[in-house]
Amino acid sequence: MKKINVIGLGNILFGDEGFGVEAVRRLEKECSGFPDSVQFIDGGTQGIYLLDYIESADVLLIYDAIIPSEFNRQVYVYRNDELPAFIHRKMSSHQMGLSELLSVARLHDRVPGEIVLIGVPPRELGLGSGISPAVEGLLGDAVEKGKKILGSFISD
Amino acid sequence: MAEKIVVDPIPRIEGHLRIEAKLGENNVIEDAFSSGTMWRGIEIILKGRDPRDAWAFTERICGVCTTVHALASVRCVEDALGIEVPPNARIIRNLMNATQQTQDHLVHFYHLHALDWVDVVSALKADPKETSRIAQSISAWPKSSPGYFKDLQQKLVSFVESGQLGIFSNGYWGHTAYKLPPEVNLLAVAHYLEALDFQKEIVKIHTVFGGKNPHPNYLVGGMACAIDPNRNTAINIEILSRVRKIIEDTITFIEQVYIPDLIAIAGFYKDWLYGGGLGNYLCYGDFPENSIDDASSLLWPRGVILNKDLSTIHDVDPRDLNQVTEEVSHSWYTYSNGDDKGLHPWEGETSPKYTGPKPPFEYLDTDRKYSWLKAPRWKNHSMEVGPLARVLLAYAKGDAMIKDTVNMVLGKLDVGAEALFSTLGRTAARGIECLQTAGFMKHFYDQLVANIKTGDYRTANTELWNPSRWPKEAKGFGYTEAPRGALGHWIHIKDTKIEDYQIVVPSTWNASPRDASGAVGAYESALKGTPMVDPEQPLEILRTVHSFDPCLACASHVFDMNGNEIVKVTIV
Repeated sequence: MKKINVIGLGNILFGDEGFGVEAVRRLEKECSGFPDSVQFIDGGTQGIYLLDYIESADVLLIYDAIIPSEFNRQVYVYRNDELPAFIHRKMSSHQMGLSELLSVARLHDRVPGEIVLIGVPPRELGLGSGISPAVEGLLGDAVEKGKKILGSFISD
Repeated sequence: MAEKIVVDPIPRIEGHLRIEAKLGENNVIEDAFSSGTMWRGIEIILKGRDPRDAWAFTERICGVCTTVHALASVRCVEDALGIEVPPNARIIRNLMNATQQTQDHLVHFYHLHALDWVDVVSALKADPKETSRIAQSISAWPKSSPGYFKDLQQKLVSFVESGQLGIFSNGYWGHTAYKLPPEVNLLAVAHYLEALDFQKEIVKIHTVFGGKNPHPNYLVGGMACAIDPNRNTAINIEILSRVRKIIEDTITFIEQVYIPDLIAIAGFYKDWLYGGGLGNYLCYGDFPENSIDDASSLLWPRGVILNKDLSTIHDVDPRDLNQVTEEVSHSWYTYSNGDDKGLHPWEGETSPKYTGPKPPFEYLDTDRKYSWLKAPRWKNHSMEVGPLARVLLAYAKGDAMIKDTVNMVLGKLDVGAEALFSTLGRTAARGIECLQTAGFMKHFYDQLVANIKTGDYRTANTELWNPSRWPKEAKGFGYTEAPRGALGHWIHIKDTKIEDYQIVVPSTWNASPRDASGAVGAYESALKGTPMVDPEQPLEILRTVHSFDPCLACASHVFDMNGNEIVKVTIV
């Protein structure tokens, strides 16, 4: 059975920066019947410390706040080769972002076969402001899209 | 509908660090200014919350130090409420903390700092046979055959040729300040990759005792894990033997890879002894073998060293309102009774007031306020915190194990103890400490097993969990020695809620701006007097700032004697 790691990225102290973590929390709640091969990870801003979850996955599903080139208020889904342009931001003070982590995985020959990123553009990044109504309104759709994607990989 | 937002800075990390350096004759750094360019206001978020939840918020303020803030926070609340945790909880916390230290130091050395000394591109020219010979001459580590290094080198070649350097894209490859022969560079790059792989194992200990990782669970009153040798779902003999295996492998890796590499690399930089800095060192201490209040039971001692004088150790009392203080004469905050007057964290105020230039700007007005970091002081002295502080204090106190390791490293490098007061000394101290801390992991593991054998399975003291039994008002102090240095949390609880919460993190000590008297912070002091080979490639600044293991991403700005900016580099 494919090992699927679902990672929520971002800092929950800074408003919509916490989108990824919040989305994965909700997704996990709605996926209680899923097999053990699906793991839900609150990745926060842990950079290099997430390497194991990346290298050990056959399928990687990432949730994160993103800055797309066309800034629409919608849920964005990117797969495999579409990703690099959206994952250049740094994640931790040790400055190893997702792109660096994937380059390490490449050196180790352990890049997940499938990588999917589900992202929304942030609206508020204020300290302690919580998820904004604009992003809150997209959470349901983001979770649904993730559920469908997970379902397709599980039934594979 | 298209929308735009302005994000400056992007709040991915605890903060951003900017260094402005002024060069004098012969490109020697004449003066340096360290500025935290991001506002961090966890204190405001915590106001009014349940003190029992504080750890879960504080562990999010930093991208890499989650567990240390959780630990300092639960200790702080327990201190305020007078909660004594059971022995298992104390030991498990020590074990998790030692695990964090060990992993963090390993990651720092190989993945944050090594590339300040190791030229990755030079490794492509190495003779793998010679690398193998060197590897086998310094260590018994088995991955050392010519074929192993040859394969690795080929992988590296195709990686570099692909044009996507990824992790290696920010180096000053070919800089003349790199001194290692290609063969040693290849050895270091091989271990860079091995360490990346290995660090994943160490931290699995956090998953065992903290339930998950990252962000393991802590609990006011103890730990949230269950111990029961007879239950599959609790911490049992089988799980403990897995922990023991990880600890043994960790000790082997540090003994056979980290320490030999440290000595081999440092041997080529013995003449680069810049970056000593203040010479003042502060430690709160950590790893209690008894109650957390009993400072004499701390395996890492508490104390202060001033002016590099190891013959006198000054006592530290973080509860004394006149010892640890923060002032804001050069920081973007205001205090109600004057920015120049230091306030103890229990009296601390967090009122941000940005008066700096409007971005984008060329440089900061360093005569006035120039940082989002406050200026912490101990009895009005600027302090360095971190591994060098801890190793020097333990050395000064006569700790036999530290003395042996320090003398072994100094002996192999053929340098005197004065070499410790440098950038390289700071880097060496981290390795020395890592070896000791890995030994502590084994020590705490043995303690835990012995205590469980007595039939004591308790992991939490819940007598005071219910707020109805709390006093109307209480103040507490929680501390730990984080990988980067002394970390303190101070709380004021009123009517069962957080009235005030102040955190003084290690990087605030080290990256401190000037104070009202003009006294500089640790980075500012350490950078002075350093000659730069090529100001457009400020490798030397990186070395010294990285040697402190900053908790902040760093941008460096170098100015010539006329104040013109030569280069602006983002240090990662």
